[in-house]
Amino acid sequence: MAKLKFIILSVLMSSSMLFAQEKFTISGTMRDKATGEELIGATVVVKEIPNTGKAANEYGFYSITLPKGNYTLRATYIGYNEIEKTITLDKNLKIDWEFESGKQLQEVVIKATKDDENITKTAMGTEKLDIKEISKLPVIFGEKDVLKTIQLLPGVKSAGEGNSGFYVRGGGADQNLILLDEAPVYNASHLLGFFSTFNSDAIKDATIIKGNSPANYGGRLSSVLDVRMREGNDKEFQTSGGIGIISSRLAVEGPIQKEKSSFMISGRRTYVDQLLKASEDFSDTKLYFYDLNAKANYRINKNNRVFLSGYFGRDVLGFGNALGIDWGNRTGTLRWNSIINSKWFSNTSLIYSDYSYQFKVTGGENSFVNQSTIKDWNLKQEFQFFPSTRNSWRFGFNSIYHNITPGSLISETDESENNVKEGRKAFENAIYAQNTFSVSPKFSMDYGLRLTSWSVLGGTTYNIYNNGIKTDSVVLADGSFGKTYFNIEPRLSFNYILNPKNSIKAGYARNTQNLHLLSNSTSSNPTDQWVGSSYNIKPGISDQFSLGYFKNFAENKYEFSAETYYKSLQNQVDYKNGADIQTAPDVESELLFGKGRAYGLEFSIKKKSGKFTGWVSYTLSKTERQVDGINEGNWYAARQDRTHDLALVGIYQISPKWSLSSNFIYYTGDAVTFPSGKYEVGGNTTFYYTDRNASRMPNYHRLDFSATYEKPRKGKYQSSWNFSLYNAYGRENAYTITFEDNENDPTRTSAIQTSLFKWVPSVTYNFKF
Amino acid sequence: MKKIITMVISVITLSSCEKEIELDLNSSNSKYVIEGEMPQNELATVKITKTVNFSDLNNFPIVKGAIVTITDEIGTTEQLIETSTGIYKTQKLKGGEGKTYTLSVKADGNTFTAKSTMPKAVKLTGLKISLSSFAPPGAFSSDNYIVFPQFIDPPQLGNSYRFIQTRNGELDKSIIIANDNIGNGQPNSRFIFSQNFDIKLGDEVTVEMRCIDVPVYDYFFSLNSIQGNGPGGGTTPSNPVSNISGGALGYFSAFTVQKVSAVVK
Repeated sequence: MAKLKFIILSVLMSSSMLFAQEKFTISGTMRDKATGEELIGATVVVKEIPNTGKAANEYGFYSITLPKGNYTLRATYIGYNEIEKTITLDKNLKIDWEFESGKQLQEVVIKATKDDENITKTAMGTEKLDIKEISKLPVIFGEKDVLKTIQLLPGVKSAGEGNSGFYVRGGGADQNLILLDEAPVYNASHLLGFFSTFNSDAIKDATIIKGNSPANYGGRLSSVLDVRMREGNDKEFQTSGGIGIISSRLAVEGPIQKEKSSFMISGRRTYVDQLLKASEDFSDTKLYFYDLNAKANYRINKNNRVFLSGYFGRDVLGFGNALGIDWGNRTGTLRWNSIINSKWFSNTSLIYSDYSYQFKVTGGENSFVNQSTIKDWNLKQEFQFFPSTRNSWRFGFNSIYHNITPGSLISETDESENNVKEGRKAFENAIYAQNTFSVSPKFSMDYGLRLTSWSVLGGTTYNIYNNGIKTDSVVLADGSFGKTYFNIEPRLSFNYILNPKNSIKAGYARNTQNLHLLSNSTSSNPTDQWVGSSYNIKPGISDQFSLGYFKNFAENKYEFSAETYYKSLQNQVDYKNGADIQTAPDVESELLFGKGRAYGLEFSIKKKSGKFTGWVSYTLSKTERQVDGINEGNWYAARQDRTHDLALVGIYQISPKWSLSSNFIYYTGDAVTFPSGKYEVGGNTTFYYTDRNASRMPNYHRLDFSATYEKPRKGKYQSSWNFSLYNAYGRENAYTITFEDNENDPTRTSAIQTSLFKWVPSVTYNFKF
Repeated sequence: MKKIITMVISVITLSSCEKEIELDLNSSNSKYVIEGEMPQNELATVKITKTVNFSDLNNFPIVKGAIVTITDEIGTTEQLIETSTGIYKTQKLKGGEGKTYTLSVKADGNTFTAKSTMPKAVKLTGLKISLSSFAPPGAFSSDNYIVFPQFIDPPQLGNSYRFIQTRNGELDKSIIIANDNIGNGQPNSRFIFSQNFDIKLGDEVTVEMRCIDVPVYDYFFSLNSIQGNGPGGGTTPSNPVSNISGGALGYFSAFTVQKVSAVVK
């Protein structure tokens, strides 16, 4: 026990206990000189002490504590010029760094903030995307997209052709926590998945964590995608935008009071429907989306700053006045950053988030509406504490009040018919602590604990089902607490640096999820419903073990990584066969529960600098589910099970003006259920199915090209042209395969493959002034 | 929903292409398929066929010489006579409102049983026909008509209906069903939604309304909804939820029958 106390003390006090030297702290922020934007992950290194790098947190703040002395500090951020400062440390210092964009750096540098981050950082399965880099990669319709770029990373799989939905290490599409300025985004796609809700003009930074997330994140089983909006230039006004074949973007930003407050507002709209109007066939078709990102911040004083950011996006789809669907997300975040002192940093966030859809069908004089909403109020408090160079802490709490209105079909013409489903409320709480500790220059660990609870709140009746048959019901009065689930989620990762070029990392994380997306379709559908844990639905639990080997060579120009993982999933929700999800009085009666397992091996090689940059990623994996009531209770391949997945990405900077890039993607077919026989019922040919997901879609492959021309700058005016060709060799990849009687020969049945995109060229013009 | 998604996708992509492909599909052991119907005041009919492999021609083998019986609530059992190959009929036993029937089929050493209850009839009073507001792409207004069967749903939950529609004597082969999850206890306000079966001015429409029990509704609902394929709004396909035990496909339904005709004018 005494030994344990000593360990805890030494962790808490770190080096200060061991060396009774006088210590001082250097702290400050790291920003872009031109725009005043905070640079997340910019690093300060102390030249005299190896492995003392401190990266700026998500608000650009850093803190280093060192013994009294003279030091040379070096601040680095990829894509910017390095800054060196010599200091005499005999008191606490506040040093702010302003980085200038690297002029000499004509080549692209990908995804890293520090040369040897691959080796030295403890976190595993984490990738940070450089938004500048994304703009050079070929994309469909020329619309650069964070969600499509992350699908090129190992362990992240696309949900289908041109789809922004993704699966991480065998998890479902709903098991990704997608955050925009800390606000959860429930449906991150537009136009049934072809576009993501993230307008890359408004985005500063995006990080994906594949399951081994630190304790400050929670609520989803498989991954965290943390997207941060830009703050807006606080030095001068700037307008930027782009005109593409299918959509256009415009962003305006600038100071409200110079270097004290700034704003950024960015909008985007598609205009496919305007083009369709030209065609007689679609003259009454409505089909578009728009979204708006806005943000403002104000520095109260040098240690306190508030931010207000919001997102609003909507999709509209309609055919005449007979049918209309619209859906979208709204989020709002109010944040208060406070540098309490040189070692303590605090962030308080109040977040609102909602997602709603409305589906209207009109026939004659009658019309029906099916609508559903999910609304969250979310309060987060986090403290960050930097006791020493080797040690940093994060701890805090998060409380979310959820209000979910399930989809109800409502008659607009005859209200007496309506059987509106009651809304459900829930209270979700978490407290956490996370420590990053360098035990020695070679060994570091990130560990933390997250305690979570989910309480069903009153105001409605909860039914209890056993095999779909109602056995009991609980009537909860408004304001009372019902069933509460508690979970303990440990998060651990270790890094052992073998030598400056090689390291081994290992991790374990438990995540829980209390919001479950009920989807019986295989693509992202706006009418998919979210339901909370209840008397029937238990919190989903995932346990992920991972192990990795990391190597850098050729002076950190090349990074290699190999990671393997095993994930087990509990309390997975699925629909029973033939479930009626639209009109069933209580959708919970239509559910089945089961478990899952996923394992795989991920390789990646990156070339990070030089004229030619890029990466190769390859994943070998298996994902299975077992649900009582499906496939006779036997394990079966999940629909996201894909054995081989390969992506090659290359960017070549020919000259300061021209750059070329290319993607090649190859993956083996997803698991799918194909008929193994047929019969006749009521004169119609009907298909007979045996094992679930026992067949495979055909293999998928595609090559894309893109060329970017950056026009020489004229005064403040900068512009570029991007030309891209998606699916360059016109491969007809299967989007769906359907089975039907042959049109010409009714004595036969045939398998019909539908493929979507064959040679999609696009041009985008981007400007900034 | 699937059709809508297909339309959206074709709009977004402006071109999508379809082609017939060769797939090496798994084969399966042949299964029995039973379609048993016990209409109100009519003789019962049971058709027994078998499944074939996907690549085979659409010639579904007929099962001859099966022993088929129907038993009513008071224990009277009648063996059905094979009136033509694979079609078995009762000679005396007719369906009655509110009664439960048990079907038993014995073929080649296999036994299949099913139970179905004929609900009380809900009165079909007529048809209301009005112009559809769903204009097909390219048309400014629609010249299609939609049909509203007129009936008042009884107050208790669980009433289920199946409609069979004909246009000038031509049968609509699609499965049209409804239940009272929406509009329980109310006069019906929903129209018959059938794709690829346009009703025009001057057509004579006949609608047969069948009151069916919940397991049969579930069978047809799942038959309709889970035969989708692959991504793009399709559900993971599986076999419909059958009320036949013993491993056969198909259904056994005792149902009421009412018919109303009207001319679109």
